[in-house]
Amino acid sequence: MEKKKRGFWRWLIASVMLRLILIYLPKTFNLASRPEISTPLVSLRRLAEGYWLKKSSMSPYAGSMYHGSPLLLSLLGPLTVKRIEGQPDHLLCSDGDDSLHILGYSLVFVIADIISALLIRATGHTLQMAYRQSLNSLDIVDLFKSSDSLSSGDVAALVYLWNPFTIAACVGLSTSPVENLVVILALHGACKGLVPLAAFGWVMATHLSLYPAILIIPVILLLGYGPDTPPRKLFLQKGYGKNGDNHSSDNCGQQETNHSKAEVTFSWRPVIHFLFWSSLWSTYVLVLCSISVKPHGSLWEMFRRTYGFILTVEDMSPNIGVLWYFFAEVFDFFRSFFMIVFHLNILFMILPLAIRLKHRPCFLAFIYIAISSMLKSYPSVGDSALYLGLLGLFLDELADMQFSFFLLCGYIGVSLLSPVMHNLWIWRGTGNANFYYATGMAYACLQEYGCSFTEDSDLYSFSLPPPPTIIILQIILVVESVSAVLNHDRKLRKLSVTKLRDGNS
Amino acid sequence: MAGMILGDGILLSYRFNMPKTETETPKMKPRPIVRLAIFLISHSLLVCVVCCTAGVLALLLLPLLAKNTYISENALMPGSASSMISNRDISEANRLASDLSGLNFEPQDAAALESRGILTKYMSDLGAEVSYHKFHHKPNQFHPLHFFSSPDSTSSVDNFSCSAQGVNTVGIIRAPRGDGKEAIVLVTPYKFGKSGTAETLSLSIAYTVFSLLSRVTWLAKDIIWLVADSQYGEYAPVEAWLRDYHTPVFTGLGALNADTCIKIDDLYALEQKPIAQTKISDGFRRAGTMAAALIFKVADRNELLEDTLNIYAEASNGQMPNLDLINIVNYLAVHRQGLRVKVEKVLSLLDSRWLEILGEIFEVLGKVARSLNPGWKFGISAADYVEGSATLASSLYNQALGIPTGPHGAFRDFQVDAITLEISPKVSSHNKARHNEFLLRGGRLVEGVVRSINNLLEKFHQSFFLYMLTSPSKFVSVGVYMIAFALLVAPLPLVAASLYADANQLDLGVKNTKSTTTAPDELDITFRSWKWLYAAKEVFLVHVWGAAVSLLPYFICQIPNCSPTTSSVIWVSLSMLGLPILYLIAGSPSTHVSISQHEEKGEWAILKSVTISAVFIGLLLMSVVNFATAEIGALLLVPMCLMAQPLMLDMKAGKFRSFFRVICNMVLGFVAFPPAAYFVAKTLFEGSDSINMGDFWNWMESLWAWNSATYIYIGMVHLPCWALCLHILLHSC
Repeated sequence: MEKKKRGFWRWLIASVMLRLILIYLPKTFNLASRPEISTPLVSLRRLAEGYWLKKSSMSPYAGSMYHGSPLLLSLLGPLTVKRIEGQPDHLLCSDGDDSLHILGYSLVFVIADIISALLIRATGHTLQMAYRQSLNSLDIVDLFKSSDSLSSGDVAALVYLWNPFTIAACVGLSTSPVENLVVILALHGACKGLVPLAAFGWVMATHLSLYPAILIIPVILLLGYGPDTPPRKLFLQKGYGKNGDNHSSDNCGQQETNHSKAEVTFSWRPVIHFLFWSSLWSTYVLVLCSISVKPHGSLWEMFRRTYGFILTVEDMSPNIGVLWYFFAEVFDFFRSFFMIVFHLNILFMILPLAIRLKHRPCFLAFIYIAISSMLKSYPSVGDSALYLGLLGLFLDELADMQFSFFLLCGYIGVSLLSPVMHNLWIWRGTGNANFYYATGMAYACLQEYGCSFTEDSDLYSFSLPPPPTIIILQIILVVESVSAVLNHDRKLRKLSVTKLRDGNS
Repeated sequence: MAGMILGDGILLSYRFNMPKTETETPKMKPRPIVRLAIFLISHSLLVCVVCCTAGVLALLLLPLLAKNTYISENALMPGSASSMISNRDISEANRLASDLSGLNFEPQDAAALESRGILTKYMSDLGAEVSYHKFHHKPNQFHPLHFFSSPDSTSSVDNFSCSAQGVNTVGIIRAPRGDGKEAIVLVTPYKFGKSGTAETLSLSIAYTVFSLLSRVTWLAKDIIWLVADSQYGEYAPVEAWLRDYHTPVFTGLGALNADTCIKIDDLYALEQKPIAQTKISDGFRRAGTMAAALIFKVADRNELLEDTLNIYAEASNGQMPNLDLINIVNYLAVHRQGLRVKVEKVLSLLDSRWLEILGEIFEVLGKVARSLNPGWKFGISAADYVEGSATLASSLYNQALGIPTGPHGAFRDFQVDAITLEISPKVSSHNKARHNEFLLRGGRLVEGVVRSINNLLEKFHQSFFLYMLTSPSKFVSVGVYMIAFALLVAPLPLVAASLYADANQLDLGVKNTKSTTTAPDELDITFRSWKWLYAAKEVFLVHVWGAAVSLLPYFICQIPNCSPTTSSVIWVSLSMLGLPILYLIAGSPSTHVSISQHEEKGEWAILKSVTISAVFIGLLLMSVVNFATAEIGALLLVPMCLMAQPLMLDMKAGKFRSFFRVICNMVLGFVAFPPAAYFVAKTLFEGSDSINMGDFWNWMESLWAWNSATYIYIGMVHLPCWALCLHILLHSC
């Protein structure tokens, strides 16, 4: 165990070294200008521009350059200032002096990545403990001894740190590491039961990128029910089984049932606390924002330029999402209709998934993040870095995943194809926008999928939204992982049933 | 994409037929497409053989399937106006030529300056704006990843020497009917001071056209005449000029540049005094965006029969100019000027026996087909077939190499369509009348092409960009040649899926094996579906090794005074050394054997499956970047990957079939090794007398010096996959 721990730290340090080396390397790939990495929302270049506007006492949102939070501007802006003063250098190429500034704000992202990884690790430990406990109470722990060798928290943290997407987002100067950090902060707080932290994370994440707002459901479930457990039915079943088994000692069985009942009750106290804290934090954030944007406009202006920009899909420059191309093509008078449709797509999925997966709130959060990172208006690889990292948390449950190899091949293929197609379209002129969009579609299809072949009819009926548009696709990754988790639950049920039967006979 | 979809189907079929022991629902009948996928997977051997044979056959059929070219853009209207070049233009050009060849200064610098001065004077007498463009010749640099970035706009001011400085002369005619937003570029490479008669001839053709264009009223696009200083090769000056043309300079960088080479500037000042009346601007002159560019030169060699025009079109990484540009040149040369048009061929294929036999077979087949139905225009004569395949092979090779075949390659990097026209005159050019007629023909051809392009409203977009020529008037478009490639790579995902399924004991529903419900033990079930991770790790490591190997030349180049042979020896030995070191660092792959001990076939099968997936992804990517490379790579890699099986197994079996497979594996394993493939190909096409270890190094050096994506392909896809296949072959079971 000790050795394992050392191994983890070694890998962590190695990943930091890799990032620093990549930051120092000459900018052959020019990652910061790649459309896959820096979208209008997360590009640090735009942030520098916004900061410059603010410095020259204009509204940072003037000229539709910056669309992020004013708080981020005050936090990260000063780090970019040197770069702006050396404007001619910025236009030509970096000289030796410039690399220092790059290091300055790159360090922030590296640190954000490390903190995220550590938080994921801690969350993973909590989840695994809870999982063990519930298995213990189901008496089937001995079958899963094997997974002792792999701590899901460590694996998830390392997957997050070593994911090429994370590294690219970190080195490519996008602010998504910070956004990911606050999302993970919220999940971690909720898992550990640290209500103020969870509320802070959730409020900040919503403030920074809007879409994490839907995480309120899993966070509340987490606070109410505690971390992921096998389905409640199992405990009840077990209680009944014990009941039927021990006719003679009736009171003992009663106790068991009471015990399991106690475990599944929804506790309202932390939820109320959470609501209180989040309203407190959001008031605080809003006050800070209003102070920040006061000289240039009102809060309303800020909402229009940030949330409004996200929701109305104003910027149609290419990215890996599926919306830009669509809105570039669509007639203007249909625009608002399709806008509503696209955004409802995310909302449609929320309720069915919440009902089906309410016993696994953490996993539910993962699914929500995956869905929103695919349907959001300006997705970047930083978003997929987040959910791929979280995927590692459910190592035990996803051990039976069938398409894992295919998914990996798909991700590799798409992430290599995307720059090539971009090159064909922009630089060589032999391709066109369809080429690039095709890879975006393929990327989305890796997460989504056309028809549900899962064996669970219940999942099928729940999570397929009414498909009004081209997105009649469901999610390969999401479907696959959901079905793997449900299969896992089913297996647990089977195991506990056989156990009971064995006990009976 | 098709492969993707197919892959989906296959995996879905797994999904669908997964051992569902716990669900008690009756087994649903799979959808037809799923059943088809299962069928294909379970008969993967047959599918492999059929697909690969069909792929090779389709490649051989390409010359038959070639279509005649046609001019697709209506606005071009080639040859609709009569030519306007008069004898006056020609006599002017002759005067220029005699002035230039009359210079016989002893120091070459002075001669160069003088001839440049004369040229400038002639140009500005025509009313053109003349400017000089100074550039520095840069030696080859190692930047193989350049392909993914934009055309390099950063001018590296450091480390050039004043001696390696060249001067281009640029003349611009402003169009009377244009708004100065578009331009047509004419390029003639010229060695100032030490030029031969052929170069002077090309200069006089260009001057003929230029002097005509300075007078005409119909011009709507500016004309830029670039006389490229070709003392450092023909490509470098054009490339330097293009880069500066497209890079705006804001600050006084130009002044900074000029200061460093005072000596040459002084010479300028001296030389410019005699022609002080003419206005030579020192700054960089620009016209609009370039619609097209024509590079033309006169070949030194003479043709026996008639004047001949050679067209070179391949730019870097297999990019081609729009087919319409070649079409109008071909049309005007053949139908208006009576030139014989040629494109490059692989000469050694022309008299190869097997190709001829194949051509005769196809001819007979074509006749049979025509006798069955006269409407079937199938089949060409055997001679045509041989000619077509030789041209196609050359086209394929040049595209695969990714090295431009002339200065036109520089234009394609800036999305400008350009071709090189090389005109070879008939013998006995000393005859004055014959000389003038040659000038007239060349001039009229260029004039016609310029006039066509002048009509263009948008940039070339109507016709094909992705095609291969089988003759100057026949082409194979992307839709046709992709079929051959698709057939060749189609078995890859199938075999990968079937191996994966076998190794994971997934029930495909067709084989009727006893279902895996017996479940060896829970641990195995739990992590069974992640077993490929170890194989993936190994594949990843080998690819890292491949990347390291392809970066090694960067360091080897730093060694001073290294002959190509020693360099290649160092490269090979360092690469060999790298593999064990990598294994030491990252842990040998054999430490994880324990996970699948009880399965004999499992481990190498999974490794093969992952390898094949990597090959598939690599080839698909490469087919998007550079089709020709992917096609040739697939011809080498696909059979090898599909055949690979541990030699030990076959040895043990001792049957004839397995013996045959061992032989095949050995041969394929040898041929697919990049240096071996290079030497084999060289021996086949050039004879065996000139084999030298250093040749391979030189070849690879030319690849990376020209930013060819083929270099990346060889280093990051081909070599690792070859190593993995070798690993499978030597696997101990």
